[in-house]
Amino acid sequence: MTNAIEMRGIRKYFASTQTLAVDGVDLAVAPGEVHALVGENGAGKTTLMSILYGMVSPDEGEIFINGNRAHIKHPNDAIRNGIGMVHQHFKLVPSFTVAENIMLGIERNRAGFVNSRAESDDVRRLAAEFGLAVNPNQRVADLPVGMQQRVEILKTLQRDARILILDEPTAVLTPQEVNELYTVIRKLADTGRAIILITHKLLEVKAAADQVTIMRRGQHIGTYPVAGLTVNEMANQMVGRTVLLDVEKTPAQPGDTVISAENLLVAANGGVPAVFGVSFEVRRGEILGIAGVSGNGQTELVDAVAGMRPVESGEIRFLNQIITNCTVRERRIAGMAHIPEDRMDTGLNLKTTLDENVISTAYYREPFSRGWRFQFEEVRAFAQRVIDSFQIKSASVKGSIRTLSGGNLQKIVLGRELEGHPKFIIANQPTRGLDVGSIEFVHKTLIAARDAGAAVLLISVELEEIMSLSDRIAVMYEGRITGILDGETATEQNIAILMTGGSLDDAVHAGAVS
Amino acid sequence: MNEHTGFRRSLETIGVALLAIFLGLLASSVFVIIAGSNPVDAYQRLFCEGFGARGCETFGNLLVQTVVNEDTGESQTVFSPLHGTGGHSLALVLERATPLILTALSATVAFKAGLFSIGMDGQFVLGALAAAFLGYWFPAQLYTLFGVTDPELAPEALKTIMHIIVPAVCLGAAMMAGAFYSWIAGYLKVKLNINVLISTIILNAIAVQFVGYMVNYPLRSDMNNIARTARIDETAWLIPFNRGLFANADIEWFSGSRLGVGFIIAVVAAVLVWYFLYRTTRGYEQRMVNGSPLFARFSGIPGTHAMLRAMLISGALSGIAGAIEVIGVERRIVDGFATAGTGFDGVLVAILARESIVGILFVAPFIAGLEQGAINFQFGNLPRQLGNIIIALIILFNAMEYFLRSYIAAIWRKRHIFSGKSITPAPTEASS
Repeated sequence: MTNAIEMRGIRKYFASTQTLAVDGVDLAVAPGEVHALVGENGAGKTTLMSILYGMVSPDEGEIFINGNRAHIKHPNDAIRNGIGMVHQHFKLVPSFTVAENIMLGIERNRAGFVNSRAESDDVRRLAAEFGLAVNPNQRVADLPVGMQQRVEILKTLQRDARILILDEPTAVLTPQEVNELYTVIRKLADTGRAIILITHKLLEVKAAADQVTIMRRGQHIGTYPVAGLTVNEMANQMVGRTVLLDVEKTPAQPGDTVISAENLLVAANGGVPAVFGVSFEVRRGEILGIAGVSGNGQTELVDAVAGMRPVESGEIRFLNQIITNCTVRERRIAGMAHIPEDRMDTGLNLKTTLDENVISTAYYREPFSRGWRFQFEEVRAFAQRVIDSFQIKSASVKGSIRTLSGGNLQKIVLGRELEGHPKFIIANQPTRGLDVGSIEFVHKTLIAARDAGAAVLLISVELEEIMSLSDRIAVMYEGRITGILDGETATEQNIAILMTGGSLDDAVHAGAVS
Repeated sequence: MNEHTGFRRSLETIGVALLAIFLGLLASSVFVIIAGSNPVDAYQRLFCEGFGARGCETFGNLLVQTVVNEDTGESQTVFSPLHGTGGHSLALVLERATPLILTALSATVAFKAGLFSIGMDGQFVLGALAAAFLGYWFPAQLYTLFGVTDPELAPEALKTIMHIIVPAVCLGAAMMAGAFYSWIAGYLKVKLNINVLISTIILNAIAVQFVGYMVNYPLRSDMNNIARTARIDETAWLIPFNRGLFANADIEWFSGSRLGVGFIIAVVAAVLVWYFLYRTTRGYEQRMVNGSPLFARFSGIPGTHAMLRAMLISGALSGIAGAIEVIGVERRIVDGFATAGTGFDGVLVAILARESIVGILFVAPFIAGLEQGAINFQFGNLPRQLGNIIIALIILFNAMEYFLRSYIAAIWRKRHIFSGKSITPAPTEASS
């Protein structure tokens, strides 16, 4: 049987960053196969798929679709060749309806006027055919993320995609949505479509894929049937060394309360309340994890605790001082550290050099400056210390950080935030978008900080991360904490119920009935 | 990789600038040809008028020139930029570049704090007005105070002191006028989040009209056809080189120009601004606010203060530029001065120099030279507006930085392949 897709000897060099992103990679996917493409950040997965989808042109290599040589120079060529791509960040028009989005660019029209009824019918028929229920007349802005993804998939199917590329499809989904997605993927594969799944979550590979291709530093490391490979083996191949997937930690020895929040009410950007009366406390030497699907008030809660967003009502106490209205700087001086959700825009300034990034929270005081004048010797020494102790590869004190990988960028943030042994650390999605090796490093660092006596507030949408790191787990749903569980005894199922607004009593009840 | 890459980037930046100039001239030749002239001849003339010494005829003459000694009749070859029989255009160019350097610094300080202020024009004319008024009013007050009836007969000691105090007062007042005017836009931004670009455009219009009114009515000094303020007192002058320090040296290079202390102030200001931005914590705050406002807020950098400070410094620099133009060059404000748009040229210089302080010191004289050349330019039936067309097109091509840079990068890559250097793969963000 001919392969649905075959890429041979693909090579791509980026002059702007002087990197060989893809180095002679082969990839073959048969019809009806779910093929996972895994690798660390910077391994070249996305570049390879961008080449297949015509967004990047390769320096060398050939692409065959169903055995025929294809020249893909533009996404339109890719679509014509039956390739569809669902990007990590959806490319939908929020103010358009589902049908309008699906038919965008291929509108059914009568003398130039869009025939919206025919479009709705088409979409309904398509949805029925693949068992992907959607309401064609609903506005995309009103849909939950999982449904938006479904619209993206339908969009490719409407264009007759026989080869589907899904880029990190589960990053934004709830556990239930993830399971539904797996079902959809399997169903699509059963119709003879080839599915390529870009991911770095290895459990996902186990759950959904038939074959897996592992890439490392632009090179093809190997292609294996998923059934014959354990998650640990995959991780080792990806990183090129043995990694510890399970976090090693000793039981927490919590001390006094470091920070407590009482009945916090926080507004989102538009002034609409996003956090309704949240209370929690974090003690010395303990990690409190906050689980929840993204967009349930975690961002606003963190901003309020960190001092970046005003609190409407309620009280925050830090080391027995009320700090509800303190500035960011006052909180930081008191011993608060913050690893932000978005390291590209918030955590770092990519326009400047490493040394200017690591001093941003302490530049104004000794030893980094006296009065208006910088003490450049001290700044340089500190930056070098961060590079050495966090093993930031291919970085230099005066070097630009723009070209560093996500893992290395996060190490710079950690280096800055953990300087001077903070008493309280907010870690908001600390491993988002990081590869296995870097995740391991971040986790170890946080546990070490905890063991050194810091209180840690960990916010993550990754359930596994929350479960493996937290000593206590609070679950947020629609701006409220729906339950606080003990880290040792909490089960994934319990958290998932609380994450989606259910209550544990109901679940117990339902369990008893069935 | 970093030091090496940094050097390469600088080379690339210079390459982009040169390429943009070349393309700008190339595109402008269309207009020269339409006007029925030969572009090479026209540009030769333009550049000689702008940058050359007297007798400059060809591009080559910009560097090397043969001059005939009138006494002996011998001819000798000289290095043109240092040769200046009867004054060198370069001195005029630097005189013209002085306000450009200061207003470009002013724009850069604002840009570096993430504020797209183009209020240089308004601050410039207000600074000029302050200096023009104090330039005659303040000495008059001093003379009255010391009982001097005729300034000609003032005691030497008083004059010497006034030569220092009066210009200082003029510059200081101009600084404050400019800083205050700029602060208004900054305050509106910080308190009401009004776009600085829009507020400064409006403030510019107000300032320009206000200065026009002041020159035409309250400060009009005589019934001259064109309204003008009174000539400033001699003690208010910023001394040009050819009258002050070097008066006896008889250096012909700047004999025809009023290049003087003002230029030195501009260069010193450039050094100070660089030091401030890159060597002090306050400058650091301003640059971080620009790089990423979220990052600044997250780190606890006082962004509001940094922005207001940037606007104050920016305004002060433009104000000084206005003062130097009055007490260093013009000696008074003549109607039409306010609408000339000198402040705005500084914005263009800052953009062309990519907010680089060193870049400004090169770009400002270049633009000044083109303007200078265009003013003296008479070639065939070409209008003097050609200079402005060329400047505009160079800026346009310069804006194509990204495209030009990739073009230059391609040349680099070829060189790498030819030199047989291997390319090592390294992790990037190309893949997530």
